[in-house]
Amino acid sequence: MHPFTYTQANDAREAVGAGRRGGRYIAGGTTLVDLMRETVERPDTLVDISRLPLREFNVTKRGGLRIGALVTMSEAAAHSKVRSLFPVVSEALELSASAQLRNMATIGGNIMQRTRCTYFRDVTADCNKREPGSGCAARGGVNRAHAILGTSESCVATHPSDVAVAFAALDAQVHLLGPDGERTVPFLDLLLRPGNTPNREHALRHGELITAVELPALPRPLKSGYLKVRDRQSYEFALTSAAVALNVSGGVIREARVAAGGVGTVPWRLRAVERALAGERPSDRLWSEAAAGSAEGARPLKHNRFKVDLLRRTVERQLRTVGDMA
Amino acid sequence: MSPQPQAAVGAPLSRVDGRLKVTGRAKYSAEHEVAGVVHAVMVDASIGRGRITSIDTSDAEAQRGVLAVIHHGNAPKLPYKDNKASNNPPGARLRVFQDDKVRFHGQPVAVVVATSLEVGQHAASLVKVRYDAEHPTTELSKGEPDKPTEYSRGDVDSGLRKADVRLDLTYRLARNHHNAMELHATIARWKGDKLTVWDKTQWVVGTQTELSTVFDVPLKSVRVISPFVGGGFGSGLRCWPHTVAAALAARVVKRPVKLVLTRKQQFFGTGFRPEYEYRLRLGADRRGRLTAMAHELEHETSSYETFTEGVLDPGRMLYSTSNVSQAYRTVPLDVNTPIWMRGPGPATASYVIESAVDELADRLGIDPIELRQRNEPDEDESSGLPWSTRRLRECYTVGAREFGWERRSAKPRARREGDWLIGMGMAAGVYHTARGAAEAHVRLAADGTAIVETAASDMGPGTYTSQTQVAADALGLTVRNVTVRIGDSLFPPTPPHGGSQTMASVGSAVLDGCDKVRRRAVELAIEDEDSPLHGVNAEDVVVRSGRLHVKGDPARGETYRQLLSRNDLGHLEADGSYAGAPGTERHSMHAYNATFAEVAVDATLGLVRVRRVLGVYDAGRIISPKLAESQAFGGMVGGIGQALLEHTATDHRDGRIANANLADYLVPVHADVPDLKAIYLDGEDREADPLGVKGLGEVVMVGVAPAIANAVFNATGRRVRQLPITAEALL
Repeated sequence: MHPFTYTQANDAREAVGAGRRGGRYIAGGTTLVDLMRETVERPDTLVDISRLPLREFNVTKRGGLRIGALVTMSEAAAHSKVRSLFPVVSEALELSASAQLRNMATIGGNIMQRTRCTYFRDVTADCNKREPGSGCAARGGVNRAHAILGTSESCVATHPSDVAVAFAALDAQVHLLGPDGERTVPFLDLLLRPGNTPNREHALRHGELITAVELPALPRPLKSGYLKVRDRQSYEFALTSAAVALNVSGGVIREARVAAGGVGTVPWRLRAVERALAGERPSDRLWSEAAAGSAEGARPLKHNRFKVDLLRRTVERQLRTVGDMA
Repeated sequence: MSPQPQAAVGAPLSRVDGRLKVTGRAKYSAEHEVAGVVHAVMVDASIGRGRITSIDTSDAEAQRGVLAVIHHGNAPKLPYKDNKASNNPPGARLRVFQDDKVRFHGQPVAVVVATSLEVGQHAASLVKVRYDAEHPTTELSKGEPDKPTEYSRGDVDSGLRKADVRLDLTYRLARNHHNAMELHATIARWKGDKLTVWDKTQWVVGTQTELSTVFDVPLKSVRVISPFVGGGFGSGLRCWPHTVAAALAARVVKRPVKLVLTRKQQFFGTGFRPEYEYRLRLGADRRGRLTAMAHELEHETSSYETFTEGVLDPGRMLYSTSNVSQAYRTVPLDVNTPIWMRGPGPATASYVIESAVDELADRLGIDPIELRQRNEPDEDESSGLPWSTRRLRECYTVGAREFGWERRSAKPRARREGDWLIGMGMAAGVYHTARGAAEAHVRLAADGTAIVETAASDMGPGTYTSQTQVAADALGLTVRNVTVRIGDSLFPPTPPHGGSQTMASVGSAVLDGCDKVRRRAVELAIEDEDSPLHGVNAEDVVVRSGRLHVKGDPARGETYRQLLSRNDLGHLEADGSYAGAPGTERHSMHAYNATFAEVAVDATLGLVRVRRVLGVYDAGRIISPKLAESQAFGGMVGGIGQALLEHTATDHRDGRIANANLADYLVPVHADVPDLKAIYLDGEDREADPLGVKGLGEVVMVGVAPAIANAVFNATGRRVRQLPITAEALL
């Protein structure tokens, strides 16, 4: 591990000040500490933000929900408002990691976790994300777990989070505090596709800190759920996953939100699927037809070709599951 | 078995060391407190083949607390004398830091020694190694196979020609790594020419001989201590380079050195179950009688050692057929040397044979159990020897009844529950009964307590407990008055703790030693005029709970304590021994099982979920039923991993293992482990060994993977001839 100094921030202003001076924020530490052990991450300064008062659960005036950045995954998953208003978020969280990790890891950190690409995590391998210009070992290597959507010549690593897929589907907003004050960005704009700069993973400005994630009010009744497909039944990242939220009234789908995980370099919103659903009446045939376009634009690699078909099947299954509830 | 009443043997005892383990007082190899210990961190080659052209250690050495950076350029030359009494495969073992050659990705190229682990790790990341890299060959299909080991009986070609049904099937099995919970770790300390090593090993005697030959010091100068092992599955069956590196480092810095491999380093710092390609041709008549079996198999080995395992045995003796041929090739690759992993050989062969037999049964429309019964041999057709015991038919019958086999539809895809297709499968398992020469020392104190010492290991099956049970009954003591000490090369030698031979071998030596001590006490009593047992026939005396008495007249007797103190004896002691398997066996000895599995397969998503596993075992006498059940469950979990999850993935461009961690190398988690049930047939094998046991730690894993694979076929109608079976094969 590269030597580092550790400071604890007592309030948000102090944290942002330290962040502006180049400090890396640490809360649960479940991803950063691992990567520091592997020397993939070599921060000189860690700024511990775990004492900051960022643990809110507030229903907004319009009926959305603000979740503080330091709320743990397990707290968020168990919260009655999350469970009743956005089951897809609860389910995504509960299907993530292990109980021990969910007790430590925070919502803000979860969004910011780095890829599980094994070449990224092995400092002796070429990786443009870790070392710009060194090349991408995964493209021609062992890449069963890698992305088929949003990839570039430079990078094919997936974003590993489950709850981020739910956030993408729900059009979450992210509240930030930085040296220049507060601002809010749509979650979908926060995480960046790799392009030629896979080392740039997010749109945070220097020193900016996530303070909360806001789930907007959506037309009710809203039925939602998350399906995670993986080899073993627990404690594994997704091969494919689907977050689905449907508003059905008068027998017609008024609004559909669909996003996929395990397949994209960022959580992948499936707009074409949503378009195919809007205004239609639920039926098995509709689920099948709408899901057909799930992997549109996919560029599979040697070992993950099966994900193209598996993604379609995953989305179709989850449309049916949520659709049967709606 | 001894004439003594059996009170402890066969009782469902909890582990005698359970409290130590759950309270954290059982010391594993990295946990021993050794004064003045410093820390070693290995630097691994980042190429798959080639030469080291330079090593720059200046940044590492500049770190405060770094004591040494040892590599081939500055390491003392080590004698590496031949070691015939070892598990080292034929070839030339890897000599740590003795030359500039890189033979596989991850090979140790330097070791950093520092006063703290953190400084050592940081300094290791600063060592700059330059290489002249060559392209490694790590793909099984690209290597040049060695000359085959061959076997044949009868005429396979004519057997195949005469067959009504012929199958020609090729199976692929992924490389598997043991991945026990405890990491491999060594603490080494020199005092003059005397070396003491605390090591994770399944064989303290083996590590002792290896270190003695590597450093060319007398065997007696090396002591290896390993009282607790946190799982092994075979990875501790030989002494690995890191143990030598720790001892070498301790010699260089003149302080005790601790070296703990990381999880990642275990993937190339210790061995693995090799990747296989296995072609099996079967012929059978219309009634399902096998007319021929032709086996052609190959697996990887390293470029410097030729590893082999007992993979041919099941193909020769499991089923009756006059025509058998086998050709077994090793393929040297730029990888490190494999090692035995649970059920070594048969766990591979049974997957192939039992999958093929299932396919044959389906083709002929015969129930898979019936087909196996029709091919049940009367004797071992490879040796002509009679079976000591072989109760496979009973395993089938009991298993079919308990599992509800009659509810299985012979037609695949016949049972569906929502999105899930449900299927049942079964397989037979076999593992030969191994026995090795073993010794034990037994000492009965005047207070009526006993200590048994033997160099055996306990990687988890419960050696402490089962040996205590054997000793308690043979001495006529209660379990709590017996203490078993193991895991120290100062104790009498034992064979490796692997191949399911510990109970048979060490147990027989313990039994012998305890019988001798008891007999001495009995003789003392019957010759002692002051003893109530004076003049009684020795055969008529039994000992229970520390009291000797006349069989059938419990009132007439006295305690060990009374007898020894009256005779002014502080203790009685004896050396027990067991000679191991005779040079020429008179019987063919194996443990057997019938394993049944029920799986659910998501018809759309291709996910396989095991619902139930049942194993019925013919393993001879069961010394410790509760531990035996745990062993069976462990074997089933291992089998689920082999069938559905475990797969070491190598990047063939540079020989790197791409999933050398437990997030990407998948082993079953609790959610993957369903309703498990183990049934042991009551009985014993009088021919096998004095205890009548046949070994069970290995056989419990054999047959699990094919039972699951056959259940997947029954559920889906798809034959996947490759392990692990993952979603992409079933979409």
